[in-house]
Amino acid sequence: MSKRKSKESSSANGECISQVQRILRERFCHHHATGKPFGIEHQYRHLLELLKRTTVHGESNSALIIGPRGSGKTMLLNHVLKELMEIKQVRENLLEVHLNGLLQTNDKVALKEITRQLHLENVVGDKVFGSFAENLAFLLEALRKGDRTSSCPVLFILDEFDLFVHHKNQTLLYNLFDVSQSAQTPVTVIGLTCRQDILELLEKRVKSRFSHRQIYLMNSFDFKQYIKIFKEQLSLPAEFLDESFAQKWNNNVQHLSEDKTVQDMLQNLFHYSKDLRSLHLLLMLALSNVTVHHPLITASDLHEASKQYRMDSKANIVHGLSVLEICLIIAMKHLNDVYEGEPFNFQMVYNEFQKFMQRKAHCMYNFEKPVVMKAFEHLLQLELVKPIERPSVRAQREYLLMKLLLDNNQIMDALQAYPNCPTDVKQWATSSLSWL
Amino acid sequence: MSPPPFAPPPPPVPFPAGGLAVTAWNWERERGDMSTCSVSKGCFVFKPSPKKRRVSPKTADYFREGNNDSEDSGLRFATCQSLWKQIKSETEQIQEELNKQLFDNLVSFLRRSHSEFQEKTTEWTCRMKSREIPTAALVLGVNVTDHDLTFKSLSEVLQNNITPYVALLQAKDCPGIKNLMQKLMGQLMNCYIDVDSSDEEDCVQVSQNRIRCSMASLISWYENITKKTDSETPSKKRTSSRHLQSPPVVVIFKDMESFTTKVLQDFLVISSQHIRELPLILIFGIATSPMIIHSLLPHSVSSLLCIELFQSLSCKEHLSTIIDKLLLTTQFAFKLSEKVLQVLINIFLYHDFSVQNFIKGFQLCIVEHFCSQPLSVLCCRLVEAKKRVNSLSHSQCENVRRLPSFRRYVESQVSEKQIALLTADNFLKEVIQKLLEDLHVYHENYVPVLRCLHVFTSSLPKYPLGKQIRELHCACLENRVWETEEYESSLQLARMLNKSDLVTMLQKCVEIFASSSGKEFDKVVEKLKEFLTQFQKLEVAGACQERGESVSSQKELQKKTDLYHLQKTLLELKESRRSKKLTKFEMLRFEVVDFIDNLVRNYLVPADHKTLHEIMYFNTASALREHLNAAPRIALHTALNNPYCYLKNRALKSDGGTISNKAPDICIVYKLHLECGRLINLVDWLEAFSTVVMAVEGPNAAASDQVDDIIHARFIRAVSELELLGFIKPSKQKTDHVARLTWGGC
Amino acid sequence: MPNLEHPAYPAATLLRLESLVPCRESQVSMLLSIFGERQQFTFPSIFIYGHTSSGKTYVMQTLLNTLQLPHVFVNCVEYFTSRLLLEEILIQLQNCSSETKHASHVLCDTFNDFVRMFKQAVTSQDLQDQTLYIVLDRAEQLREMEANILPAFLRLQELTDRNVTVVLLSEIVWELFRPSTGCFEPFTLYFPDYSIGHLQKILSHNHPPEYSADFYAAYINILLGVFYMVCRDLKELQHLAALNFSKYCEPVVRGEANERDTRKLWKNIEPHLKKAMQTVYLREISSSQWERLQRDDGEPGQLKGLSAHAHVELPYYSKFLLIAAYLASYNPVRTDKRFFLKHHGKIKKTNFMKKHEKTSNHLLGPKPFPLDRLLAILYSIVDNRVAPTANIFSQITSLVTLQLLSLVGHNDQLDGPRYKCTVSLDFIRAIARTVNFDIIKYLYDFL
Repeated sequence: MSKRKSKESSSANGECISQVQRILRERFCHHHATGKPFGIEHQYRHLLELLKRTTVHGESNSALIIGPRGSGKTMLLNHVLKELMEIKQVRENLLEVHLNGLLQTNDKVALKEITRQLHLENVVGDKVFGSFAENLAFLLEALRKGDRTSSCPVLFILDEFDLFVHHKNQTLLYNLFDVSQSAQTPVTVIGLTCRQDILELLEKRVKSRFSHRQIYLMNSFDFKQYIKIFKEQLSLPAEFLDESFAQKWNNNVQHLSEDKTVQDMLQNLFHYSKDLRSLHLLLMLALSNVTVHHPLITASDLHEASKQYRMDSKANIVHGLSVLEICLIIAMKHLNDVYEGEPFNFQMVYNEFQKFMQRKAHCMYNFEKPVVMKAFEHLLQLELVKPIERPSVRAQREYLLMKLLLDNNQIMDALQAYPNCPTDVKQWATSSLSWL
Repeated sequence: MSPPPFAPPPPPVPFPAGGLAVTAWNWERERGDMSTCSVSKGCFVFKPSPKKRRVSPKTADYFREGNNDSEDSGLRFATCQSLWKQIKSETEQIQEELNKQLFDNLVSFLRRSHSEFQEKTTEWTCRMKSREIPTAALVLGVNVTDHDLTFKSLSEVLQNNITPYVALLQAKDCPGIKNLMQKLMGQLMNCYIDVDSSDEEDCVQVSQNRIRCSMASLISWYENITKKTDSETPSKKRTSSRHLQSPPVVVIFKDMESFTTKVLQDFLVISSQHIRELPLILIFGIATSPMIIHSLLPHSVSSLLCIELFQSLSCKEHLSTIIDKLLLTTQFAFKLSEKVLQVLINIFLYHDFSVQNFIKGFQLCIVEHFCSQPLSVLCCRLVEAKKRVNSLSHSQCENVRRLPSFRRYVESQVSEKQIALLTADNFLKEVIQKLLEDLHVYHENYVPVLRCLHVFTSSLPKYPLGKQIRELHCACLENRVWETEEYESSLQLARMLNKSDLVTMLQKCVEIFASSSGKEFDKVVEKLKEFLTQFQKLEVAGACQERGESVSSQKELQKKTDLYHLQKTLLELKESRRSKKLTKFEMLRFEVVDFIDNLVRNYLVPADHKTLHEIMYFNTASALREHLNAAPRIALHTALNNPYCYLKNRALKSDGGTISNKAPDICIVYKLHLECGRLINLVDWLEAFSTVVMAVEGPNAAASDQVDDIIHARFIRAVSELELLGFIKPSKQKTDHVARLTWGGC
Repeated sequence: MPNLEHPAYPAATLLRLESLVPCRESQVSMLLSIFGERQQFTFPSIFIYGHTSSGKTYVMQTLLNTLQLPHVFVNCVEYFTSRLLLEEILIQLQNCSSETKHASHVLCDTFNDFVRMFKQAVTSQDLQDQTLYIVLDRAEQLREMEANILPAFLRLQELTDRNVTVVLLSEIVWELFRPSTGCFEPFTLYFPDYSIGHLQKILSHNHPPEYSADFYAAYINILLGVFYMVCRDLKELQHLAALNFSKYCEPVVRGEANERDTRKLWKNIEPHLKKAMQTVYLREISSSQWERLQRDDGEPGQLKGLSAHAHVELPYYSKFLLIAAYLASYNPVRTDKRFFLKHHGKIKKTNFMKKHEKTSNHLLGPKPFPLDRLLAILYSIVDNRVAPTANIFSQITSLVTLQLLSLVGHNDQLDGPRYKCTVSLDFIRAIARTVNFDIIKYLYDFL
């Protein structure tokens, strides 16, 4: 009986857990669609206003949304559009064109994409256009039905705006801004970019046609708000199927947010980057540990996650090297110390290594030069060492000039962590005795 | 029509064309069967068949240019052609024989590695050890020009024995992995079409839809092609049985050194991932040494390969076989004189180890000879030559009379015979026939004796007469070999040889002579055999102490290094011999050596002591040298510095360092620039130029110090020509200067 | 160790999975928990890095296959252009949608098309309700392709608005991938290298059927003792183990020793392995040759490795050209006078030897030199005079094609081309010996 009950509850519990997982994962990993904006009500209203004017009063316009990565540009836009769509008139005749700098790598592709998104392939058919402008004009013409007011507004959204700048003559941008100025079809161009200096990148003729409306998203919140965000992100919505569990969960979250260690950890993260994505990543990691047997997130989960998150990858790689390879790295370190970071070649490294071997290496046999070379190549392959000039077709490999991409304390830390490293190697690393 | 065997010699005809026609006609009648007779037809003024006309006059003309009278040009050309054809086929055959060993090894390697590839993976080790790509590192030597032939025949061999799927890749076609894949797939797909051209639509379809040049598509191609061959009609089975089951795909990298690391790396990594689906076998064509593999590929990549080494015959050995087969034989009437041979060999040894070039040079010699020497018409098989002698025209006879060797011969005769020789053509012809016969006999004897001598010299310490037979050959051609002290010393050494060596040598000699076609060697053989039997007889205890002694002296010889000391000891030994009487063995040994010496003196007379040798021997080395070993820089310099030597214009003759203004502008400019330093000031240069050019117009012209436009223009043109030649280039340091790129700047 | 558990998958499958991935349980469980249930969202992009043969590829493959998650697995080295890559992904999508392998020809030039076709492919089948995984092995190659490819892949989930996760596998750390303008940061996961214990375990895991497990384990122990210092590559070690095992068994087979007395066995195998490190490990001797050698147990000495055949036959003048080139590229210009001028007056050794150069040229490598210097040196070291014939020049170029010399920088032949000599000291000494020219006397470093 009791067993059955427990089983019962556990199954229900399992149900809840998977619910939790589903909801929160949505939130953390799919945020651009679902997330919630924070402390940007002002920009929100501004953008909404702008778009309303286009869609409702048919004014053309152009604006840039500028903010660092993960500051929620896309999210903002999505929310505005969602709200906009609630207006019936808009829903009926607003046309959206979503472009992305990563996808439309040149104007030809972009134009095709525009045509496609406006469902005008059949209209265009296989017409041949003299210029890009003509083509665009034709498209908009095709959209126009009746007089100016009744022609349906078009909303161009250019994600990764800065990439469009590199297109030949910035033709696309020029034309879009151009139509957005000329009072024909109501056209609004919204660009999203993470580059502050975006305006400098625009050509003069393009720049002059841009309305210079810029919406900045600096995630400008202090730590208190950050904590708040943390809580909101983690807590379950009211409409969760199992109130009791939701209760438990949210309380737990509340506790976490008050926990000192957690706060310190968050503090670190906050200083490291205010970017919400990193927070999401962290939470996601923590969340992934939540199971039936382990229903609530604990502080330790968060700490684990942060450790995982803050791992130094290079140190990891070094940790995996063979002793010989470590020796080579140490040799390079010494070379760097002596020649103040001048580039070096394999021959020098080998020389250095030989010195060490002759002086005080009893732990290992003397390796053939090719063997050492093989080890060196492995380092090269891992890009811990990088050739400074493009390896020309035929330079002897032992004379290629290299740079070490590790700094001294990275090496030292790695050595400390290195499992059963021979003592005299350690000594050699610390003291550059071999130079006396 | 069947002509009488001996057509009556035609009367001497005053005008050459007719004579030519007649001779050609005669010759035509005699050997109408010859394939190249068409060429001789070209010499007829009447009834030309249109096709021939286009070809033959040209070729014949070249030969006419050879000398002012166009004696037998057509015939000479024909002979030249046929001779070259023979030689060519000969050389190719040699090539094949030489490569055979190597190819056999390769084939067996491919078979082995492929069988390993196919062995069941159930066996533990096969499962454990990682699959490597079987790779043959084929070291071919630095004579890159010869490689193409080798690869051609190699791929043929492979296609006959191993697999239809052979691809040859060249570095210059594969700058990137993409191109490499394209080339590879292109070749393979085509060869697939070759395999069975029954289904055209397949290959069409292949060519039509553009091939995604990725390993995946290659694999799919391989899969369905092997499926096809497995499920093919029994008639096809035979062909496939010749190949292996599911034949491997062989990829040959012709010039490993020139491939870039990136390309190879990518290709190897990719193909090693699919080695199970696509049985790939690589062949690296290496010119230098297998080290290149390691210096080219990082170990992470080279550890994907299972490399085995194959080395081709060294080109030196190759050359000596060629010489052996082409020069040291009576098969071909055409011979090289010592100097010419030296030139060819030097080019080979000093510059390029290329056997092909050597053969090309040989070809050039042939053409030169037949082109320049009108009498070369007689340079053919003896019987043929004799016939041709009959039909020699008068002027040809005159040519014969002009030959220095013939002159010498005439002078050696009694007076009335001299007159006969110099006046009566018919008599002359008979004599010529006789002489030719002598020459032929001489050759027949020369070769075996030379070999025999080589048997001795090649086993002496320090090789006084050279190790290779070609060196000996040169020595003999150069002058009377027995008058050289190398020969002396080698005889001395030969007198020290111990018994066993001596016997073996004699046996060798016997073989040589027995196999030779020379008539009068029967006696020689007899003699040698007799010697051998005598040595047998010497098995009495009496000889022991000398034996010991001779051995000891032998020891001494080994110790003595340089020739000088050697001879000293020899003399001493002689002395010691004098003192005590010679033993039987020593007597015999002396006899043998003397006998050999006799042979040499009789048969190894240098060719240019022989009458009419000019007919057979090509000896204008200078021409050859300037063809094969040109010095462009020097030529340019002389052309510009001393235009007379090319233009042959009187006006330019006056050349005492002064610059004549008659010379072409570029010459003047060049000469002037020779006096400048690294950087040349254009203005000064122009000044100097104009003064030189104006020199003729006396002082008044000089007075007007501003240069007129014509001269300026000429100057500019000349300078730009120099730049085009790469002697100067605009310099960055100073705008109004040009940098001088030639040597000897002050 | 934690044995795997996950609500989404039956325990049996998980057990099988665990048995398949020895020493990688923690990573697998990590991945499982991150992936969550089939339909749940997970990180848009995951970046897995770790050393060569630390099981990245293997683990991903086994994981996805045993759990039958819908996935696409592509190796970026093999599909070396973006077009090939994208097309391959689409093809695989089609295949995993319908088992009937219709290799319909997809044409996809740009990422734009890719996204569109990708959406179609996904909607065309029952993939909406579960996460689709796109695994890109050897992801470092993506950096060679167009600049937009890598960032686009990282944001694929957003761009396609489908439940898709891109997994990148590489040996190289993420820092070296990040483009200058930044991009969507993936979740990075580290696969640590196998510890020696791990290696021991895995290697001895599949022992040959005819021998006992611990016998083989002992062998592996010795093997690691020799090679662990230099090489931790599992594949390589396994290869070596397979190659040399027969040798190890020899005494047992001969009946000279039983499987117990390890001392004897060790004495037998240890030198052999040392030898192997210098030969097979470097592919000096091919594995097949090595095996043949063992079969008819010949002494490894008798079979010469590739490097043994270093000697190159060269024409007479080529040899001197090469020597001249070597001298030109390893001697300072100012020393030429002293070396090659017959009567170089009294150049004092003291002021000639400027010892302030603390590193020898043989440490720094060859320096480029102009053609004229080469020829000048050539003329002075060849005793009989050389005419500057065409052949000489053609030899220089052929030396370049043979990679014994290398043409430096812009190959504008007009203003004097500059060369480098790319042969080793040993090589040139061998060459010099054949023309008995004592090169050491002419090298500045050895004065």
